Amino acid sequence: MADKNYYDAIVIGSGISGGWAAKELTEKGLSVIMLERGRNIEHVKDYVNAQKDLWEFPHRGQRTQQMIQDYPVLKRDYPLNETVLDMWVKDKECPYTETKPFSWFRGYHVGGRSLTWGRQSYRLNPADFEANAKEGIGTDWPIRYEDLAPWYSHAEKFAGIQGNRDGLSVLPDGEYLPAMDMNVVEIDVAKRIKDHYKGSRQMIMGRSANITQPKPEQNRLNCQYRDRCWRGCPYGAYFSTQSATLPAAMATKKLTLRPFSIVTKILYDKDKKRATGVEVLDAETNQTVVYTSKIVFVNASAFNSTWVLMNSATDIWPDGLGSSSGQLGHNVMDHHFRLGASGRAEGYDDKYVYGRRPSGIYIPRFRNWDGDKRDYVRGFGYQGSASRSKWSRDVAEFSVGAELKDALSEPGGWSVGITAFGEMLPYHENRISLNKDKKDKWGLPVLNMDVEIKENEKKMRVDMMADAKEMLEAAGLKDVNTFDGGYEVGMGIHEMGTARMGRDPKSSVLNGHNQVWDAPNVFMTDGAAMASASCVNPSLTYMAMTARAADYAVSELKKMNL
Amino acid sequence: MERRELLKLITLVTGGALIGGELFLSGCKNEPEMGGAAFNDQDIAFLDEAGETIMPKTKTPGAKEAKIGAFMQVMVNDCYTKEDQKIFHEGIGKLDKATKDKYKVSFMEATPEQRKELFTALDKEAREYAGKKSEFDREQSAKANEAKQKGETYEKKTMDPHYFTMLKQLTLLGFFTSKTGATETLRHVAVPARFDGNFPYKKGDRAFFE
Repeated sequence: MADKNYYDAIVIGSGISGGWAAKELTEKGLSVIMLERGRNIEHVKDYVNAQKDLWEFPHRGQRTQQMIQDYPVLKRDYPLNETVLDMWVKDKECPYTETKPFSWFRGYHVGGRSLTWGRQSYRLNPADFEANAKEGIGTDWPIRYEDLAPWYSHAEKFAGIQGNRDGLSVLPDGEYLPAMDMNVVEIDVAKRIKDHYKGSRQMIMGRSANITQPKPEQNRLNCQYRDRCWRGCPYGAYFSTQSATLPAAMATKKLTLRPFSIVTKILYDKDKKRATGVEVLDAETNQTVVYTSKIVFVNASAFNSTWVLMNSATDIWPDGLGSSSGQLGHNVMDHHFRLGASGRAEGYDDKYVYGRRPSGIYIPRFRNWDGDKRDYVRGFGYQGSASRSKWSRDVAEFSVGAELKDALSEPGGWSVGITAFGEMLPYHENRISLNKDKKDKWGLPVLNMDVEIKENEKKMRVDMMADAKEMLEAAGLKDVNTFDGGYEVGMGIHEMGTARMGRDPKSSVLNGHNQVWDAPNVFMTDGAAMASASCVNPSLTYMAMTARAADYAVSELKKMNL
Repeated sequence: MERRELLKLITLVTGGALIGGELFLSGCKNEPEMGGAAFNDQDIAFLDEAGETIMPKTKTPGAKEAKIGAFMQVMVNDCYTKEDQKIFHEGIGKLDKATKDKYKVSFMEATPEQRKELFTALDKEAREYAGKKSEFDREQSAKANEAKQKGETYEKKTMDPHYFTMLKQLTLLGFFTSKTGATETLRHVAVPARFDGNFPYKKGDRAFFE
């Protein structure tokens, strides 16, 4: 134990789940080293763009040709943006290959994507955990809603989630801070939808990890309604590793944070069937360092966590630690989206909105629910908002000059837009694998993506668009138009499923406590563990799952079982 | 910008996406070309006047005070493809020629009224052209989709943007995201500190910048 590179626990990754692992394990008395492959980003101090106004950016936030060249993946969607360029991985340093198109938007720095996440925070519902078994899809979750419920509460209370207890069976209520308000148009649209569908469809205030009351014990101020979350919040008003879990872990004086640490493999003792530590490649010096520990938490984000396993214990299992089931790297899921509808709300000319609310409205799943039956399984929800249009709108009456300027100096009419987010099923053949023919900046093999959506998702997408139109029209909106921006897997930035939990080591990588079947002192609690995707945003589930696994890990350590 | 805003692709005034700001699905071939042709002082002065014609000084400052010419130079050089840069630069010449044809003077010598009349006509022309272009783009997308269904590939063709669309987009973007545009023509509250979804509005009140 005198080894200077020994810690009770190693946490690989510092994003949402890694931060939670570090917090929970240190608070339970373990010494922990958290290894992060990228640079450090210090809370507030390193949010370099947080206080800038748009005119302080040379291209006013737009993308340049240089950026398009440097970011061949990010350019596919909104993440490539001048205001948050420092919050995303440099694509060219970390390539991957695509058998089928896959967009992989990554944050390689302390905090990971907890800095840029959408902050929508929902619980999976009891049926989500049962659907695989009932429908004979994938593998049964080894846990049920009740197993996670107390941990959802634990996560919500600490992270700070604003929202209402809406009393809907499809979207279990949690422990919330006072909800942000709907605006006048949203209130009316919500009422009309509820009336029209007799309560079977509901539009509620989105639940998000933005705090509406200060959390002095965490040194966090309530949301100031700037809507600039993804540049980093100087008030710590949204949950991130930096604003919440990292300071809590640091306060225990039990945490060591080591940036620029690429974990290349988990070291495995085949006699004891336990991991003994990890091998790290220092991203700056290219030196190899070994850390040893009693337990390892793998929280590098679904695909990179899986990559670490694929590179580990290959002398025993050629396809890596956890591959004995044949499921490692398979069953890739995301949420498919980028389609919906929008329409014009007439009237409300004497109403406007003050402040920039960083969350919108949410319409929970209603398909294949409560007696509804479709020609596909599972469902989808919508996120959206009502707003008055801005200066970028078209004004057909005026071409140029003072009249155009005057017209654009006032807000335009109201409109409501909703975007659908659908569940993707776990298909065994949707997989990631090691591509040893291509290497990254550090000479490490990269991932190859071979993932697509199939019939179930395609049928669902027809409803996702048609239902959006129908609901907005039922709510009295005019000129309702549908849109489909095209979806490539990965764009949901919700990679899941590549080391799924299950009841049987023959068909799953992790057991019901997120332990790798073949190495019970290795825990994976990020998106990789998901046996199904639900249609709700997944991060809150990772938080709850991590806290639950950490609790179990520590109790097992005390019993000398690990 | 929030994820829910994601599909509100910027459609600046002319019905098309912001030139240079397009998203590229992985199948799209897009080889960026860097390095712009030089703008000289006359170009900047010309663009200042062109911008001022689109967003003139009224009771609040106009595009010239927002240094619109210098802004256009940065955007065209850094954000436009080489092809689009060429269209933009040729547009400056076309604009000058159109002024001479109509008023027998250069654009810089023309009166504000003449410039406005000319731009009004060009705006109409550019809008009609943009309508044809979006129709053409739709057809091309349909063909590409059709080919994709059959497992074939179809190299999408495209129509060049109209130079006046570029000029107007850049002027509006540059003006309204400038400090004066955002805070004097519009109003801006950096730290609202609260949210009111039922905030009173009366005709003439300025819009919030964000």
